[in-house]
This record gives sequence, structure tokens and C-alpha cells, in this order.
Amino acid sequence: MAGTGETKVLHEYRQAMTVLGKSLRLRHESILLLILAAEWLFFAAAGRNFTTLDNTFNILRHSVEIGLLALAMTAVVLTGGIDLSVGSLLGLCAVLFGTFWRDAHLPVWAAMLLTLGAGAAAGGFNGTLIAWLRLPPLIVTLGTFSLFRGLAEAMTRGVDTFTDFPASFLFLGQERWLGLPAQAPIFVCFAGAMWLLVHCTTFGRSLRAIGFSPEGARYAGIPVRSRVVAVYLLAGLTAAMAAIIYTARLGQAKADAGVGYELFAITGVVLGGVSIFGGVGSVHGTLLGVAAIAVLNNGLAHVRQPREVAGMLTGLLLLLALSGSEFLKRLATRRDRCQPSPAATEKA
Amino acid sequence: MKAYSREVSVALTLGGLLLGLAIFAPSFYQAQPLLSLAAREAPTLVAACGMALVILCRQIDISIGAQFSVCSVCAGLLAGAHWPIPLVLSASITIGASLGALNGSLVAGLGLPSIVVTLATMVTWREGLRWLRQGIWVDLPEGFQWFGLRQSAGQWTIIILALTVLVLLALFMKHLAAGRFIYAVGSDAEAARLAGIRPRRITFAVFVFAGALVGLAAMMNVAQSPQVDPNSGTGLELKTIAAVVVGGVAISGGRGNLWGVFAGLLLLACLGPALTHLHVQAYWEKAIQGSVILLAVVADGGHRRNQGSP
Repeated sequence: MAGTGETKVLHEYRQAMTVLGKSLRLRHESILLLILAAEWLFFAAAGRNFTTLDNTFNILRHSVEIGLLALAMTAVVLTGGIDLSVGSLLGLCAVLFGTFWRDAHLPVWAAMLLTLGAGAAAGGFNGTLIAWLRLPPLIVTLGTFSLFRGLAEAMTRGVDTFTDFPASFLFLGQERWLGLPAQAPIFVCFAGAMWLLVHCTTFGRSLRAIGFSPEGARYAGIPVRSRVVAVYLLAGLTAAMAAIIYTARLGQAKADAGVGYELFAITGVVLGGVSIFGGVGSVHGTLLGVAAIAVLNNGLAHVRQPREVAGMLTGLLLLLALSGSEFLKRLATRRDRCQPSPAATEKA
Repeated sequence: MKAYSREVSVALTLGGLLLGLAIFAPSFYQAQPLLSLAAREAPTLVAACGMALVILCRQIDISIGAQFSVCSVCAGLLAGAHWPIPLVLSASITIGASLGALNGSLVAGLGLPSIVVTLATMVTWREGLRWLRQGIWVDLPEGFQWFGLRQSAGQWTIIILALTVLVLLALFMKHLAAGRFIYAVGSDAEAARLAGIRPRRITFAVFVFAGALVGLAAMMNVAQSPQVDPNSGTGLELKTIAAVVVGGVAISGGRGNLWGVFAGLLLLACLGPALTHLHVQAYWEKAIQGSVILLAVVADGGHRRNQGSP
């Protein structure tokens, strides 16, 4: 009798902990939403023309490439990995695209397809080294970070620039389509697809499982290696996509395209509440993180602050979000310890 | 001997490169350019020693490039205010150590992941420095360059200083208890704690020490030119991580030594000039460096599997 009573209490306790865990995870994203709203209100009050539709589209247009990289990075980080090479790969793909179009005289659509293929191959290369040779992702992608950028520089001898793209291609980056920036629909579709993939499919669930414990995931029958390769391949493909949009937006392709973008993407992902150790995080969190950074950058320009201030504040925001989130977690575990229960040892 | 096979293979690769240069491009071996190359890479060696300690402790510090820039500019400003050289040196080291202490307290105190913490501090320091200084180069007073010595004497001073740091640290890591504690914490923090070591204190101390080494390295770099470049630290973190990894230090902590890091740094540092002397276009340098890192880590992976450890 006492035993069943205890089990019931335990069961209820576990349920309560699950709810608490969920609300905590939600809390990170709701804090982020509050920060975003506060930023918006502040800049709306302080800056001129900040709230205009034109400016909103401007923010969107300028954050599409980093947004794309951050979305793919979310999947990578969920598996407990990291990809430092996406910025360099963006540069390499921009140069490749220019070469295919100008030097190989291919039509634009063929050059795009080949570039996407090259990006996927480069991402697959990362993934193969990481999954099949079991090498640390940080070091592998550090190596390809140098390699891809170096190849881009070698191909252009450091100075060659591709320009004079046809207007029909520049439309993708500079014009409006149904009133929206032309690249916006692509980004929205991609974000929606990523959200469905990560949150509504077994594929997405398996990424979290791998992030928590690759060995455990393998015993649960998840093909860990091919999933990991797929995630890095996706990151490479996305980098190629971002490279095409970047080239269309600026109207030129150079070897230094996308320098430092990997750090922006990682900052957005981590600010969005994705754990760098893997297993925890969400696509909408990442979107909020990228938006918080983009609005901060744009808003500070509207109140005539230099770009450096925006960068500095991004760093501080990241530290604050991390410490705050860690603090909340500690609070929750302390509450755990007060309860004499075996469930306390479980991961919240 | 088997324990050092990784370091030996890096040293052999380096030897092969140097031998190849001796046969195909003897113009590489001229005293003056080699001395300049060594003096230019000496600060990187000191910073790489700090990075090696951090990685041996199973952490990482990607903010050292930004720390380096902050220390350089501060040293330049203090020198411009006519502080004597020893005071400027100690100020630079102190600033580096306090920047490291901030990283250390966030990582060891709050238990945050070091890669994210140092990413955030990197962005903050770099952008803060750009904001405050607007990228202006700092002029140094007369008699500060080469510590007031003649050029070759100054270069030798810097090289000998870097080598002294390397040898002392290598001996420290090998023979002193505190050095072994770093290996213990890097291998398994929980086991180290049960053995009576305090992992958090060790981690904190390692970050502070790495910061101090970055301060020293910044000073060694500042003394080589008549002006201070506020962007001199850009990319230093990747350069040092590459040297550490090529030198056979495991990114998962607890394995490797500083002699390997020395060999790895020499290999990477010689690649650029070697390409020029072998008449390969300089644009290939980054691609080849990347390939060297990948080759090193692939070789390392194969090596570990042969030994049967995970």
C-alpha cells in the first residue's frame, strides 16, 4: 500500500518536474522575446523612421544570409557539434558561382545548381571526417575554415572580383517581389522547413538524441553517422544558398565574402538558447536570437551610434543571456534538491 | 618513445620541410630574414603556450586575439605617457591576467561553456577597443622599439625570452605538481576532484595564466615596431589553436606537451616563407595551412584508434 502511494507521489512529482522543465525552456525564449520587444520600443521612441515598413524590410534583407547560416547551425549544434567553416564556405561558393558564370560561360541557373552541389559536397566532406573518422568537429571545421577561404583566395589570386551579373539575377538580392524583399520568401520557406524538420520529424528528434548521447542514440537504433553527415551536408548546402543570395545582394563576388559570418551565426544560435553541448534548443529560439542581434544593429544605426557599439552590446547580451539562463537552471536544481526524490537525479 | 610518437612525427615533418628547402631553395637560409621570422613568431609561441595550457585543461579560449589587441594598445598608450619599460611590461601582463580572470570566473565560477564565454568576451573586447580607439595606430616614443637596444640585440632578446618561457613551462608541466594537476583536470575533472584537486581553482588559474602570457606576448610584439597596430591580434586565436593541434595536443584535454606545440608552430610558421622560396604563389598559404591542420588531426585519429583507446 505504502509502496503504491509512494509511486503515485513520484509520478506526480515527475510530471511536475517535466512541466517545470518545459516552462524553463520556454522561459529562455520568452525572455528573448521581451528583450526583442524592449529593443523595438526603445528604438521606435528614440530613432526616426525605425518603425517604417521600409526599415523592417531592410532589417530582413540584411539578416537573411546570417539567418540561413544560423538555422543550419542550429541543427549542427543540436547534435553537439559546431561548424566554424560556414563563413569561409560562403566565400568559396561565391567565388565558385562567379567562376561558373563568367569563366565557364554557364547560364545563371546552372551556375546556381553547381554552386549548391559544391556547397553540399564541402559540407559532406566536413561531416565525413567528423562522423566516420570520429574527429572533433571544432578542429575539423577549423581546418576547413582555413582550407575553404584559402581555396577562394587561391582561385581569385586574392584580387579578382566578379561583377556585372545580369539584372534578372540581381533581382533576387536587390528588388521587391509582391512588396517583399525578393530573398524574404526563400528565407521564410527555409525557416519553416527547418522548424518542421527539427520539431516535427523523427529526424529532428534523433538530432537531439545524438546531442545528449551519441552512444545511447546508436543503441536506440539511430543511424548516428549518416545523421551527422546529413547535418553538416545541410550546413554546406545552406552556406552555398547564402553565398548566392549574398552575391545577388551586393552585386559582386569576392574571396572575402562572409568573413566572420560563422561567429555571427553561432552568436545567434547560442543567444537563442541552444545548448552548445547539444540536445537542447529550438529553431524559433534561434530566429529570435538572430532577430535580437539584427534589430540591435539596425536600431543603433538609427540613433547614430557607431557599428562597434552594436558589436559590443551583442557580446554583452550574449554573456547576460548565458548567465541568466544558467542562473534559472541553478534555481530549478536547488528546488530539486529540497525534494527527497530519486527523480531529482534526472536531467531537468 | 611510443608516448612521444606524435611529437616525433611532427618534428620529422618539420625536418623534411627544412631539408627540402635546403636542397631546392637554399635561399631560405639567410641569417637576417630567418632572425626576423623567428622574432615575428616569438609572441605567437608565447601565446600558443598559454593556449596549450587552456586546451590541456579541456577548455578553449578564443578571446586571446582580442586580449592581445587590448594589451598592445594599452602598452602603447602607457609607453606614450613615458612610463618606464619594466612598468609597461608589468602593466601589460596585469591587464592580460585580469581579462583572463574574467573568462576564468565565468567558466569556472558559473560553469558556462568556455567556447561561448570566450566568444562573447572576444566580441566585446574587440568591438569595445574599436569603438574607443577608432582603429588609430598608437605612436611609440623614441627608444621603446627593441627595448632601446639595437635591432639584432632586440630580436635576440625577444627570441630568448620566448624560448625561456617555453622551456620553463614545459618543465613546469612535466615535473611540478601544479602542472600535473592541469593534466588531471583535463583528463577527468570529477576523478581529479575525488583525488583532492580543486578543478575549478585550476581552471580559473589556467585562464588567468594564459591571459598573463598573452600580455607578455603583446609586449614582445609591440617592441618590434615604431607604432602599435590595434588589429595586431586578429586571428591569433586560430593561429595558436592550429599550432597546438598540429603539435599533438588533444582538443579533449589531458594529452600532449609543449614541445609538440613548439614543433607545430615552427611547421606552420615556416610554411609561408617556404612557399615563397619554392616559388608557389602566396595565395595558397591559407589553403595549405588548412590542409596541414586536417592532415594532423586525421593522423591523430588513426593513431588513437591503433592504440585502441576511444
